[in-house]
This record gives sequence, C-alpha cells and structure tokens, in this order.
Amino acid sequence: MITGARTTTRIAYAAAGALLLVVGAQLIGQFELAGKAWPPLTDVLAYVATPSGSSLIQRNLLVTLGAAGQGFVIGSAVALLGATAALLVPILRPGLDRFAAILNAVPTIALAPLLITTAGREGTPAVIAALSVGFVMFVATTSGFAATSAPQQDLLTVFGASRRRRLALLELPRSVPAFVDGLTLAAPAAILGATIGEWFGAPQGIGLLLVSAMQNYQMALLWAAALAATLASLVAYLLLVQMQRVAVRRFS
Amino acid sequence: MSRLRAVGAGALHLWPVALVLVLWDLWVVLNGYTATVAPRPWDVIADVVDGFGDYLPYTAYTLGMSLGGLVGGTIVGFVGAVLVWWSAALSGVVTPAALVIRSVPITAMIPIIARVVGYGDPAVLASTVLICFFPAFVFTLSALTAIPDSGRDLFRVLGAGRAQLLGRYGVLHALPSLMVSVRITAPTAVLSAMLAEFLMGANGLGALFSRARSYMDMERAWGTALVATVVSVVVFILARLLERRVADRVS
Repeated sequence: MITGARTTTRIAYAAAGALLLVVGAQLIGQFELAGKAWPPLTDVLAYVATPSGSSLIQRNLLVTLGAAGQGFVIGSAVALLGATAALLVPILRPGLDRFAAILNAVPTIALAPLLITTAGREGTPAVIAALSVGFVMFVATTSGFAATSAPQQDLLTVFGASRRRRLALLELPRSVPAFVDGLTLAAPAAILGATIGEWFGAPQGIGLLLVSAMQNYQMALLWAAALAATLASLVAYLLLVQMQRVAVRRFS
Repeated sequence: MSRLRAVGAGALHLWPVALVLVLWDLWVVLNGYTATVAPRPWDVIADVVDGFGDYLPYTAYTLGMSLGGLVGGTIVGFVGAVLVWWSAALSGVVTPAALVIRSVPITAMIPIIARVVGYGDPAVLASTVLICFFPAFVFTLSALTAIPDSGRDLFRVLGAGRAQLLGRYGVLHALPSLMVSVRITAPTAVLSAMLAEFLMGANGLGALFSRARSYMDMERAWGTALVATVVSVVVFILARLLERRVADRVS
C-alpha cells in the first residue's frame, strides 16, 4: 500500500507543478512582467479558440507532423540498415561510427542551402527531420546490437546458425528495447528537425508560422504555434515511452 | 612509428567524409550546375581559405556564444538540480514542469526569447543557456537520486548530514553524468546559437549565412556551412575529451 500512497503523492506533486507552470505563465503575461511579448495564456487560448486561429494552427501542424513523420520513418529505417551493415561488415564500423558522429555535430541549419537545391523547399523539412532521427537511431541500434553476450552467440554458432540466422534470432530481438528507447528521443528530434527545415521558406508548417508571427509581432499566434509544437512533441514522447515499457517487458 | 600508423588509421576511417566530398563534386559537375545554384567543394574551400579574415570574427562570435551558453547552462542546470534534490516536494513539483519545458522545440523557443529579451547578444546567449540547461538539470538530478544506498548509509553511519553527503559524495557521483550531458548538448549549443543568429541577423555565423543567402553568394553560404560544421565538430570533440578526463579522474 505504501507504493500506492507514494504514487498518489507523486501525482499530486506533478499536478501542482503543472498548475504552477500554467499559473506562472498566466501571471507573467497578465502583469506584463516580460513585456508585451509574453501574452497571458488566456489570450493565447482565446486566439486558438477563434475559427481562423484554430484552422491556421491545425492546417500547419498537420503539415509539420507529416514531414516529421516521414523523416521519422526514413531516418529510423536508414539508421537500422546502417547499423546492420556496421554489424555484418566490421570493417565499415569505425568509419560509419565516425561519420554518424560528424553528421550529428553538423548544425542542421548549415545543411539548408544544400537541401533547398536538392530536396526543394517542400522536401527539406522531412530530410532534416530524417537526419536528426538518423543519428539517434544509429547510436541506439548499435548499442542494442552490442547488448548480446558472447555465450549466447557461441550457443547459436555451435548449433550451426549462420550469421544471418544469428542476426534474426539473437541480435535483432535483443536490440528492440534499445531501439524503442532511441525512438523516444527521436520523435521530438523529428519535430524539431521538421520545424528547422520550415524556417527556410517552406510554403507551410509550424516553423514558418513561428518565424512569420515573430517578424509581424503577432504574439498570440507565435505562442499558439509554440504551444502546438510543444504539445505535439510531448505527446509523441509520452506515447513512445509507453511503447518502450511494453518492449522492455516483452524483449528483455 | 605506431603513432604514425594510428594517425593513418584514424584518417582512413574518415572515408565517408571523403566520399561525401567526391559525390558532392560529381553531383555538381554531372548536373551542370552553375556556381549560383551549387558551388563545387573546392571553390567553397578556396573561399574559406581566401576569406579567412572575413570568417574569423563571425566564427569567434558563434564559438564564444556556444561555449558561454554551454558552460552557463550546465552550471545553472547543475545548481538547479542540487536545489531540487534537496527537497522531495520541490523535486516532485519541478520535474514534470521540466519535462514540459524540455519538450519545447528550440525553433519555438528562440523566436519567443528574441521577442521577450530583444534582438541582440543577450538573446543569443539566453537561447543557448536555456537549451543547455535542461539536459544538465535532468542528468544531474537522475544521478543524485541514484546515489547508491550503501554510500548513503556509510555517510549516515559516520554522522554526515545532507550537506556533507552532497559535498563529499553526491557532487562526485553526479559529475560523470553532468559530463555526458555536456557532450550531448555541445552540438545543440552550436546549433541553437546559429539558429538565434540566423533569426536575429546581427552577428555570428548564422547571420553571415543569412546575409550570404540573400545576396545569392552561394560560395560564402556553403563556406559558412562548412565552417559551422567544423566549429560544431570541434566543440563536440572538446566536450568528449573533457568527459573522458572527468570519467577517468572520478571513477
């Protein structure tokens, strides 16, 4: 019963924390403590409640989520292939590792000129999202593959399993928890990547909304867009955390 | 001799970078792009070498802002985590809020900071500090809450208070985690400094990039991208060295 009581306190604390955040943001806006650029939350919500505001946010959020989703899938798939290649062809391993680290260090904003000419203004957000996801997933998958122990490998080898069979029977299932762990980090990264891509003249999307609202001093719109992006990223994260719990229970 | 071989092997493992350069050049040449669409890698490198003096102040600015934000954010995050660890109630209240704020994409945070703090150096620095704050906070807090019971018991038996436990054990216990957070946030610090500079356009590589883009000076724009990548990789390598040093020293 002690754990039950603890959970209740924890939920009470969490609720208090959330409340504090909301009330704090509201009060700062109300009394203009941070100037005109910080509107009260109620103003932002009132803006979202208007038909034009909600349709604008909704339309652009869908575009961003689409790009982020595409990038998420492509990035994860490429990372999985890359990690498998590094596992099966050991000589590629150091080079791929280093390349992934460099690719991660590249500020994605620096890739924009290259991507605008290759992928076009519409395609850029998805590609940047895929790049951000790719590194996280590559690292997560390689560490997942490394989670197998030598005795397990030996056992399968003794029973005459080929390299490919060992991959299918041992390394792939064993890496699932680490892979899903990576996904929880990759989902917010995908949304961030998509919005960065949209800063460079994409025709639609939350990223574009953020920049244009900032430049035109539309504070309610700016905050509404920021809240929408935050909520999307938070929800994606929490969903994947749930999925990760299932994966850990099933595969480890 | 073995040192030379190690360096050689290290260089050899950079084959994907060489591959990218060659593919880039081939792509430009085969498509017949002119320099206004996509410059060849050698021209971009030449621009960086010739215009080294032009790049230098911007690069120094971005490097300073990234490092300042990285150090500042890490310290603030560490102190915040220690304060929160001190009180169970505070930690219960602050942790979910930190989760929410951590989910704010930097692209959403920077325009708001720019409007609230005003355009200029403080806004760039505030953006990087804020970005680096949360990982440091989360990593430190999780390390502090994971102080092994045996260590805690030992200190209690020896009559140490909470402050002693923290000062003599907790800080050391949390340092490696804090360094992990520094390594993880290092490239992000450069990215957020550049995003802020790009948006506000006053100084730094982000501003240089934005200006070169609007003048269609593609060699300069791509050169900025190249320099920014090098800066980011250097900051990352430094952070990794620091992490290894601390890990060797502490554990």
